[in-house]
Amino acid sequence: MRSRRFRDRAGRDRKAGRCSARRDGSDGDGGRVTDPRVTGAARYAIDSELPGMLHARIVRSPYPHARVVRVDASSIPPGTVALVPDDVRELGRYGVQIRDQTVLALDRALHVGDPVAAVAAPTARDAEEAAALVEVDYEELPAVADVLEAVAPGAPLVHDEHVLSSGGAAYFGLRPQPGTNVCHRFRIRHGDVDAGFAEADVVVQDVFRTAGAQHAHMEPHACLASWEGETLHVRTGTQTPFNLREELAQVFGLEQERVRVVAPPMGGSFGAKTFLRAEAIAAALARKAGRPVKLVIPRSEEWLTLNRHPAVIELAIGARADGVLLAKRVACYADTGAYADCGPGVAQKMGFAAPGPYRIPNVAVDAYCVYTNTPPNGAFRGYGQMQSTWASERAMDMLADRLGLDPLELRLRNLLRDGDRYCTGETMHDVHFAECLEAAAEAIGWRDGRRGKGLAVMLKGMQTPSRASVAIEAGTDGGYVLRCATTEMGQGARAALTRLAAELLEVEPARVRFPDPDTGLVPYDTRTTSSRSTYMMGRALAEAVRDLRANGGRRGYGEIANPGGLDPDTGQGVASTHWHQGAAAAEVRVDEETGKVEVVRLHAAIYAGRVVDRASAELQNEGSMIMGLGTALFEEVVLADGAVANANLSDYAVPSFADLPGRLTHELLERDGAEIHGLGETALPPVPPAIGNAAGSLGVRATELPLTPERVLAALEERP
Amino acid sequence: MRVRFELNGEPVEVEARADEVLTETLGRLGFAGVRETCGIGVCGACTVLVDGETASGCLFLAPLAAGRAVTTVEGLGGDDPVQRAFVETHAFQCGYCTPGMVLAARRLLEENLRPSEEEVRLGLAGNLCRCGCYVKIVEAVLLAAGREEQWTS
Repeated sequence: MRSRRFRDRAGRDRKAGRCSARRDGSDGDGGRVTDPRVTGAARYAIDSELPGMLHARIVRSPYPHARVVRVDASSIPPGTVALVPDDVRELGRYGVQIRDQTVLALDRALHVGDPVAAVAAPTARDAEEAAALVEVDYEELPAVADVLEAVAPGAPLVHDEHVLSSGGAAYFGLRPQPGTNVCHRFRIRHGDVDAGFAEADVVVQDVFRTAGAQHAHMEPHACLASWEGETLHVRTGTQTPFNLREELAQVFGLEQERVRVVAPPMGGSFGAKTFLRAEAIAAALARKAGRPVKLVIPRSEEWLTLNRHPAVIELAIGARADGVLLAKRVACYADTGAYADCGPGVAQKMGFAAPGPYRIPNVAVDAYCVYTNTPPNGAFRGYGQMQSTWASERAMDMLADRLGLDPLELRLRNLLRDGDRYCTGETMHDVHFAECLEAAAEAIGWRDGRRGKGLAVMLKGMQTPSRASVAIEAGTDGGYVLRCATTEMGQGARAALTRLAAELLEVEPARVRFPDPDTGLVPYDTRTTSSRSTYMMGRALAEAVRDLRANGGRRGYGEIANPGGLDPDTGQGVASTHWHQGAAAAEVRVDEETGKVEVVRLHAAIYAGRVVDRASAELQNEGSMIMGLGTALFEEVVLADGAVANANLSDYAVPSFADLPGRLTHELLERDGAEIHGLGETALPPVPPAIGNAAGSLGVRATELPLTPERVLAALEERP
Repeated sequence: MRVRFELNGEPVEVEARADEVLTETLGRLGFAGVRETCGIGVCGACTVLVDGETASGCLFLAPLAAGRAVTTVEGLGGDDPVQRAFVETHAFQCGYCTPGMVLAARRLLEENLRPSEEEVRLGLAGNLCRCGCYVKIVEAVLLAAGREEQWTS
């Protein structure tokens, strides 16, 4: 087909690549749009360069568990530098909660893909060739890949000991179980669960599973490390500049001020670009080479770098015949892979999310973070929450079915209200679960017939405790500069915080500059995770503007903390100073011949409190829902003999336009004078159970995600 | 080998290996909007137009561009109804896939000036956006399509 030509307003043909301009919609001079993301001018960590820099490549173990007998890099060509275990043996161990990682595997490689050596060469292609010339001899050791096998007595131990981190991300009491693969155990003890079950008329009990997933952030992990004397400079895509600085200081034995982390905008992250990924390898190579080193993780190695925790959740819930919930018992097993990373936090969140947004007088939760000989798992949008919400909300529908109640009515009868105490003992405030759920139900016409329809509602904690601080400096031009560690990964934090600052300072947003976070220039912030930044940093900004006004208008500093935390042995305390709340509703068709689930309608109703930047808020909701759709229907890291079998974007499918539901809609619930509620993740966790429950209404008694055609057909066969 | 082609309307001559793909060549020339992402031609982030047709820059061999016209997002200069519609509808978050998305959308509209929502979805199904901006991208494409004075056959 012949392509159409564009014409300018005078009707002259112009080359493809140019066409007539209308002035509306432009954000620059002469009617041209200037947003760098749409013109190709956006630059990310992957674009970082320094004169004389080398390119790195990692040599990885092909075995799930092996002794590293010999690493020989003597055949690499001149001009190439190799990093071998002996180069890093004296460096510190890292790990933000459990200090279980070394820069390279020293004696044992613990998963397929575990780095055992690295090379740096003048070009990325040279580095790839040189990496292939590094010879490594291994001696295979017994491995464990399944989370339940890993907690069974006699399982091979992935780590011999559990050394606790003293860093800022080890923010709760860690409870590793010595001599086992459990690196953290978290418990909630609330009421008397045995008595509660004894009183129950109906008990539903089942085992739920969720799959590992790959973030598939479009920009891969990329960093550039260089040394100036004894100071390490790192430019990297990271959500956690201060945690990373602390980890690198720990590894290289430096004062934290001798490590400078600069965090350019990320081409997506979703939790993947957190803590220390490949930065220490780049830094160690740079020190050895005496030159800057850039390290970009090849796409296929992203599946070996960090994935989402697969989980097994054993759950029992008991109710009276009228639907009043009496007791719930949950055991969560979070498979953290070969290294803990923030897995203990993930398991803990899985644990305190598992009771769901309900009044339940008797609750017992045991959550375990478990090592296996598989690639490490870490933060992933809505971490711990998605896994628990799947189990908890599927169980609510199974319970409604057993009780002969409408699943909506069962939920409404038990939802937490303002002033209720959660099973952690904290009092709930600004509670809107029922409104979210009713809105979601209404959107899909729940009361007009429930066949093919499903609902889910959830409460999600925000990082507690945490601290945010920000400095505002007045420029000579009447504008202001924000010194702020909040990082941009597409979620719109920069736009939201710039807008908030402009409102507070009573200037146009264009007068507020927000440079890339640089730990040498910005005050401390916990990290850009758990949908906390607009809320926490927004409050710190208000403090900073007050300070600026009170002190001559040149410079202001603001700091906010949200204290709290849970006792890891009883689960009592403050899980979250402020809860994210949301519900989803789905309508599906199930093809009983093929097992394919088609989502015809998907809606989410999310409590926003106050919306700061509407476009970003909507995009975060839509993006979360679409990611939830992938989790629900097809995203799954497939392991075979400990190796990832689908480590590419062809075999590992992420949602495309073609996967969109027939209708995808959402709403933000706002209240005058309410607190800002972060929106980065809330709409993801309720989507899989809403879809699962919709399929459940058609006889698919699914307990395992994703709902692949194979699993759907198997569930249909078990139908009574 | 020397390869001569037209890049965003200007003649260029570059040195390229025989097995080099366009993302590499264009990256060297400073056109970072073309980004290798999946490396196997399934994500669309490296989409360029070659003689007006979409091509995956991660698979298209640079020597095969000889004598042809290559357009990257930089070549649109911010002066394109699709770019404008993307900005107006906020059809991006991190922006990594946006250059490829804009070019694919542009080609789609050249072939079909009045696409339905379904046709836009199918037409762009070869371009992945992990941030999940699909709803607003469809809005953007339909908005650009609606501006008839800018699209003539």
